Amino acid sequence: MAASLPQLDVAKMQMVQDLEIEMMSDMYNRMTAACHKKCIPPKYKDAELVKGESVCLDRCVAKYLDIHERVGRKLTQMSLQDEEAVKKLQGEMPRV
Amino acid sequence: MEESKTDSSVGFSPKEMDSLMKYFVGNNCKYREQIIIPRTVGPIHIKSIDEKRVEAVFESCAFKSLVASVMGYGLGAALGLFSASVSPNITAPDAPQQTAKEIFRDLKFSTLSYAKNFALVGLMFSAVECTIESYRGKGDWKNGTYAGGITGGLIGLRAGLKPGIVGALGFAAFSTAIDYYMRH
Repeated sequence: MAASLPQLDVAKMQMVQDLEIEMMSDMYNRMTAACHKKCIPPKYKDAELVKGESVCLDRCVAKYLDIHERVGRKLTQMSLQDEEAVKKLQGEMPRV
Repeated sequence: MEESKTDSSVGFSPKEMDSLMKYFVGNNCKYREQIIIPRTVGPIHIKSIDEKRVEAVFESCAFKSLVASVMGYGLGAALGLFSASVSPNITAPDAPQQTAKEIFRDLKFSTLSYAKNFALVGLMFSAVECTIESYRGKGDWKNGTYAGGITGGLIGLRAGLKPGIVGALGFAAFSTAIDYYMRH
């Protein structure tokens, strides 16, 4: 279910793009921090990624993105329900 | 984003915020032309699909076991040649002197036998260790111990249950010792 942007002027579109970049980079930083904390032990003697660590990182990133998608879907679903509830409420109590 | 004094600051109405939120959070399968990765320290190198495929082959469990078995073959051949040449072949006193051809045949037999055994052990150990490491997702010392235990157990089980257990424990201890020596 792809949502589309409402019609916005140039300044707002600029801000939307800035917001999107900030959101993506925030997600990237959080994902890196979380997977680093989970998969790489604090003491190591080798700069290269061991096979076990790289397998763990693959799984961590896949899980993170999957959760990101599911939570996003749930959030949009909840916001749709909220919108419908608000519309119903406004329909019942027409404002003068 | 510069905000001059004459422009009013950009703000969104709640309705716009709502639809923006749905756009940002809900669209996860959007096609993006540019991959932007924030750069903190050092250059960011995005690997091409061919590079990833080649790396996947070279880091796979099968390739690693193959390399280990080839190295085992070489080591076994050298050890077999050495051990056959230093061990005396005592025959009956009245038997004819061994010809060079027979000695070479004996050396070849011993070399090949040792080489095959070492190659098999190397292949098994490496495959088991790689599988365990992929399953656990960690790269610590216990992988070598578990793999040694399983390999030693499998080798020893050919001679019965008790040799299997003894072989498992012995090989696990040997593997742990070698790992400790290699890491410290």
